[in-house]
Amino acid sequence: MDKLIETFQAASTTLQAMAVSLGGLIGVFATLTIFFIIIWTADRIGSRKKG
Amino acid sequence: MEQVFIGFTSLTWQMGVMYLVGAVLIVLAVTKGFEPMLLLPIGFGAILVNLPLQVVWEHDGAAGFLKVLYDGGIANELFPILIFIAVGAMIDFGPLFKNPFMIFFGAAAQLGIFATMIIATLPPFNFSLREAASIGIIGAADGPTAIYVANKFARDMLGPISVAAYSYMALVPLIQPPVIRLLTTKKERRIHMTYHESNVPRWLKIMFPIVVTMIAGFVAPISVPLVGSLMFGNLIRECGVLERLSQTAQNELAYLVTLLLGITIGSSMRADKFLNVQTLMILGMGLVAFVFDTAGGVLFAKFINLFLPAHKKINPMIGAAGISAFPMSGRVIQKMAAEEEKGNIILMHAIGSNVSGQLGSIIAGGMVLALVPLLAK
Repeated sequence: MDKLIETFQAASTTLQAMAVSLGGLIGVFATLTIFFIIIWTADRIGSRKKG
Repeated sequence: MEQVFIGFTSLTWQMGVMYLVGAVLIVLAVTKGFEPMLLLPIGFGAILVNLPLQVVWEHDGAAGFLKVLYDGGIANELFPILIFIAVGAMIDFGPLFKNPFMIFFGAAAQLGIFATMIIATLPPFNFSLREAASIGIIGAADGPTAIYVANKFARDMLGPISVAAYSYMALVPLIQPPVIRLLTTKKERRIHMTYHESNVPRWLKIMFPIVVTMIAGFVAPISVPLVGSLMFGNLIRECGVLERLSQTAQNELAYLVTLLLGITIGSSMRADKFLNVQTLMILGMGLVAFVFDTAGGVLFAKFINLFLPAHKKINPMIGAAGISAFPMSGRVIQKMAAEEEKGNIILMHAIGSNVSGQLGSIIAGGMVLALVPLLAK
């Protein structure tokens, strides 16, 4: 990981922006996926309790 | 004798232009109703700070009242954080809990942040990575996040970035519809979506802000001030035992901080820092960010539709509501759906996507705050 960061540190600003964009989008999707799983699981538990 | 007329003799044409800019913001707020709570104080602040001698900012070595407010509310990020507590207390995540899949539109519609960041680094703009990130974050369609990130990375650009963020949020009803129409067919815009009414358990509403804060803290620790304050406000709202605090956060706190935030942002629009080509570039790229956000959400919805059976297709306009700008974007989408076909109600889905956008924008802000310092030279 450190090597990858060092490579990007030496890269052009546009390439750095692309790396931030890719990492950022993956991070946003991953984090919101976790929230989705939490809500979905809670909904399942709630439905089961009602049932 | 010269001292008597110093107010007139020290006037410059740049100051005159800034009075005009301030007046335009005030006119937009008063006559068009564009974000009046912010654009009016910003406009007046811009006039105040550009009056001769700039005594409201600094005079005879002493800080003026706007500089005191700036140092105490913007430079240390206090105002955006307090605004987030108020916004959190206003947000009802109920529509999202009933349609959890909407959360992904809150991620897709952050595309504008990152696309604009890349564009800002290209010639002829050639902004540094920190500056490009601050410009891109206008696409969060969320004023406090834009202020928070710009304050960390490019304090000199705070004025134009804040003005662009709030102005384009106010212009969402004008920016989004043409982009949506360009990317969707009439048939797609007429898609109906069924809404399942269900009771969200109280424990979920209470646990959600706590768990979200903790997860955000693990994924991007630097985003905790943003996420934590938003979720604190939401916890006050949902806990059910702090009704007065919730009302105070939604009303008195929101109004008071908005008032101070607006006039303080206006004070960052000093002619010597604001009147340059860079400001025009920032305003232009802010618009690009909003367009890419809208396109990202719509195209993601269309992509998902490729895998869904005919009776479960998503109205792709829902994706555009993932840009935050809560609740305006959700309302715009519902209005468009009703215009396409009378009686087509997709408001709750749009609001679900819209509150997801609020989550997505602060997470995206956190990602930018975490990743940029790692790579920036």
